[in-house]
Amino acid sequence: MITGMERLVAAIKGEASDRIPIFCNLIDQGAIELGMSPKEYFSRGEYVAEAQLKMLRKYGHDNVWSLFYVGKEAQLVGRTKILYAADGPPNVEDFVIRAYDDIHNLEVPQDVSTHPAFEESAKCMQILKREVGGKNPICAYVTATMTLPAILMGMDQWMELLFFGPPNLREELLVKCHELFVKEVAAYRKAGADVLIYSNPFGSTDTVPFKYFVEHSLEWIERDIGAVGPEGLVYYSGMAAINEVIDIVLERTGIGVYYLSNLDNVAEGKRIVAGRGLTCGVINDIALIDWTEDEIRNEVRRIIGAGMPGGKFLFGTAVMPRAIPEKNIRAMLEAAYRFGSYENTEETLRNRASTQVSV
Amino acid sequence: MLSQVIAEYHDAIVDTDQEKALRVVQDAVRGGVSPEDIVFKVVLPSMDQMMKSISESKEMSLAQHFVSARIADMVTAEMIAKFQTAPEVKGRVVIGNSYGDMHSLGRRIVIGCLKARFIEVIDVGTNVKPETFVEAAVAHDAAIIGISSMMVHTARGENGCLGVRKILKERDLEGRIKLVVGGAPYRFDHDLWKKVGADAWAMDAITAGKVIEDLIEEVRK
Repeated sequence: MITGMERLVAAIKGEASDRIPIFCNLIDQGAIELGMSPKEYFSRGEYVAEAQLKMLRKYGHDNVWSLFYVGKEAQLVGRTKILYAADGPPNVEDFVIRAYDDIHNLEVPQDVSTHPAFEESAKCMQILKREVGGKNPICAYVTATMTLPAILMGMDQWMELLFFGPPNLREELLVKCHELFVKEVAAYRKAGADVLIYSNPFGSTDTVPFKYFVEHSLEWIERDIGAVGPEGLVYYSGMAAINEVIDIVLERTGIGVYYLSNLDNVAEGKRIVAGRGLTCGVINDIALIDWTEDEIRNEVRRIIGAGMPGGKFLFGTAVMPRAIPEKNIRAMLEAAYRFGSYENTEETLRNRASTQVSV
Repeated sequence: MLSQVIAEYHDAIVDTDQEKALRVVQDAVRGGVSPEDIVFKVVLPSMDQMMKSISESKEMSLAQHFVSARIADMVTAEMIAKFQTAPEVKGRVVIGNSYGDMHSLGRRIVIGCLKARFIEVIDVGTNVKPETFVEAAVAHDAAIIGISSMMVHTARGENGCLGVRKILKERDLEGRIKLVVGGAPYRFDHDLWKKVGADAWAMDAITAGKVIEDLIEEVRK
């Protein structure tokens, strides 16, 4: 039987397999699977790995995740207070950088892979590698240099420093964040990550104007990718749109996978990538909470119909809020398996879809 | 001269260039433009122009919203001090992040826009319980409660807008206090504001200033 990894490799090469790869980012759902509170669940790498494997068997998608929650990265450089919620992801309550002077004192660990704050992630990776290594892509989440300060000091304080603060201080922080980024990537690669989600809302024109992107964000993107190489990296801007920057990022960095926002036009994204890499069409998984099964099916069909022709395409989700009912996750995946099948010619796909709509 | 000031100020905002925007204002004042004209004919129209651009799908970035609101707030505060007569405060708003939500950027942008529109703001901060919103609104006689949420569970949960609505209903305050919501989850589900019991929502922080201003007028009638 073909594995998730084989599907991904086939898609990268532009070859057909049984279906397109399907990345379903089930992060907060792990606690529900194990019947735990988020605080207990995220306390141990074994729990996260166990839930990832359980959900992989349950739903049949292609990828697993080593991500706990985004704020965890901040713990690599300082003490943070995490606010746990019963119904959502953990949130950074108290930031590492509270005053500009804290930037001078920020210390990047020599080796992230042996840092205590990485211990549980490493355990999780180790289990995933042992159980599904080589069979399912193991994903890790790494925040880009330009965006890391938002996790360390809060988005508003980072915007304040970025646009109105002392340039030397801004540079000092970015240099330290770049160092952390490079070491994090090294640690995740050493632990066995196949896919590294390079997360960078500042790499989207939803966050900064295109001119600013070219003059500032792009420089740090090039430095990041120049330092770690593009292998296994996926360009992702949170849920912000990336179509406007794909071409220049691809040219300057060689990153081979572009994880669109649901705000991006899928066909347009595919056209811009132009066979030079893989394009991922992403569903609006916030709307997925309340959509009917018919609405879900039609939306999945629309995304895959726009991106699948010509290959080099995968289907994915964004943040997958905990509030999405399990039946909606199943409806989305069943539709993705069906419409993403290479056994369906475009013609039969259209016929099937029109039957669905008329039903 | 004024049309040139308007154009240069707006260009500076679009380029997220605070230094240039402030220089344009200072030069205009030195050149004889009144503080009242700076606020009513330069700053506010520039914000309206941004809203128009957004509505015409020429999306403005988050950074442009942030810079625009910050400069508008700064310039308005500076110009008000030089007004011939003090402007009338249009109304009062209590604003904060819903319970469990620590994302203050959107709230800060809205506050800047509201101040530039002569609306008094009571900022109750991040991670705010429903009862705190209502108590603050009653204590300050605010017509509007604005709730910012960046996460799905803080927007949809019982301790967010739904919780505030419940208290307003129980205390028979719905006729006098209106609820406005905003933040990322609402951008991805345009019906979410109804599901959480809000009276209005705004797609972005710049537009939120106008939505709240209009709602204050409605409550006054």
